[in-house]
Amino acid sequence: MAYILQQLLTKGAERYPEKAAVWARGRSITYRELNERSNQLAHLLRGRGIQKGDRIGIYFPKCVESVIAMLGIVKAGAVYVPLDPQAPADRVGYIIGNCGCRGLITREDKRRGLDEATLASLEFCVLTDESPKSSNGASLVPWAMLSQFPAADAPKVVLTETDLAYILYTSGSTGRPKGVMLTHQNALTFVEWCAEIFKITSEDRLSNHAPLHFDLSVFDVYNTLEAGATVYLITEDLALFPSKLASFIETQGITVWYSVPSALTLLLLHANLSAERLARLRLILFAGEVFPMKYLQQLAATLPHVELQNLYGPTETNVCTYYKVERDRLASMDKLPIGIACENTEVFAVNDQDEIVTEPGGTGELYVRGPAVTYGYWADHEKTAKMVVPNRFQRNFEEKMYRTGDLVQLAEDGNYYFLGRRDSMIKSRGYRIELGEIESALLSHDAVKEAVAIAIPDDIVSNRIIAVIAPHDGIDLKAAELQQHCGAKIPKYMIPESIEFRISLPKTSTGKVDRVQLTQESIRAAQQTATEAVSQ
Amino acid sequence: MSTVNQTPATQSSTLKDQIREFIMENLAHAKGITSFTDDENLMESGVVDSLGIFRIVSFLEEELHVRVSDEEINAETLQSVNSIEQLVLSKKK
Repeated sequence: MAYILQQLLTKGAERYPEKAAVWARGRSITYRELNERSNQLAHLLRGRGIQKGDRIGIYFPKCVESVIAMLGIVKAGAVYVPLDPQAPADRVGYIIGNCGCRGLITREDKRRGLDEATLASLEFCVLTDESPKSSNGASLVPWAMLSQFPAADAPKVVLTETDLAYILYTSGSTGRPKGVMLTHQNALTFVEWCAEIFKITSEDRLSNHAPLHFDLSVFDVYNTLEAGATVYLITEDLALFPSKLASFIETQGITVWYSVPSALTLLLLHANLSAERLARLRLILFAGEVFPMKYLQQLAATLPHVELQNLYGPTETNVCTYYKVERDRLASMDKLPIGIACENTEVFAVNDQDEIVTEPGGTGELYVRGPAVTYGYWADHEKTAKMVVPNRFQRNFEEKMYRTGDLVQLAEDGNYYFLGRRDSMIKSRGYRIELGEIESALLSHDAVKEAVAIAIPDDIVSNRIIAVIAPHDGIDLKAAELQQHCGAKIPKYMIPESIEFRISLPKTSTGKVDRVQLTQESIRAAQQTATEAVSQ
Repeated sequence: MSTVNQTPATQSSTLKDQIREFIMENLAHAKGITSFTDDENLMESGVVDSLGIFRIVSFLEEELHVRVSDEEINAETLQSVNSIEQLVLSKKK
């Protein structure tokens, strides 16, 4: 059995050397090629002095080289850090600095967009698009250089399952993203459970819809390798157009799909889906946000042959619960459960009296324990201590558990239901967003005195974001200017889509900005606009 | 709600102006973007995302009164101000 991720590839390469492992942008590579190229990259990295545990960033739009990079980095014993190629350079620079990336696998146009200080902090960049002629200086390594390194075997590095494999950055409430550290064991606990329960075989064709810095892609990539299947990386030009995407699923014969519900909703509403067209599709997994019941019911009816599974879990645990959609119950359900714990994982709700909830109907915060749970956040002991806490429900030995911050209810049938958050984290299109990170970006503008970011519930994307601002006295501030300011700090999906200006913001009796009142006002205003639009 | 210094589409504004203004006010600003060219690929530069596409389609149908089928919603027809103008012109013929 595999205890480090790269063993999944070794196994695949032995069994199916000439089979396609990864497809992207009309190009594919076989298991043998993926194995050899990642071996070469690992030797190149070791040749640059990369040691066990060093961090290497991956910063370019998805393509077959993305998967070579992931595997090459772990084979060198290092830790990969997938960086959002669409995020502002400021945020990417912060992440590179925060986890101290020694090197970057990138594309020249992306590299050039980074600031001077970030570039100076990197020892080298491997460029996936550059020929040796156009690179200058020792710190730029052209991709073609890989061919000079041994392909047959990976470098010898002693690794155990408790070593880090990758770090995924998610939104942080204090204004900066935080790096969730994941070990080989964290990933494999999930991958092996998926392999068992979803029976992925070498005949399967998996899609990869999520970006690589999003934990949904862990399933797509590693369960493909585990089974000797093929993964089809879905790039932006495909993902944006439901009709084109549906044709792609049809013509490539995708059998397993995993994405956020909003991507499925768009397919359902705009792609003319039918069971005949998607006859080969056998399994749809969704996670990252609540699937609106009316669209799930439509999807279940449109694709009666497809098994539907709701997966739940924060990046810190990958997936920790699941619920297999029961079609005969769907019509009478108004809400979908997040289900029961995955194998090798324990979940329980802890109520306000600090007791584990055992009775149906009881509510509390969901806790997770087991080998899927993260060590915590890179270089942030304070945040780690708050979220990854000692298991106070057993005192025989030291053990940690993760507090999800999600409020859940235990139902009669043993399933858990998601009720909401304990804090101001929200979801939009499956992205985890801390409203505090948005407020911090707004407040960093000189003219802003007070700022509140508000989530407005939305049928398709879960939440839309707006902001209410009080500028400093006498300053005439434009929404577009403030949105542009945010664009340099936070990813586009976090920028408020509209901004309301007020002289001052309402306060609570303790003098804090009254977030509850503002939220209620904004939601009411949004509902009114929606009603007016319908009645027009 | 958001206030923008833009002249509203008037009788004298061209079709291209209307399209550009709609995208600027409703999509680009909300992504922190304040300028783009008429032939710029709006998907690559992040002005238009998966929901933005359907806001453009609603704009074409409701404001410009052209019907757009699901098959016509693709990277070729909707990639830039120029290509959207072409789509509308081809419909109005």
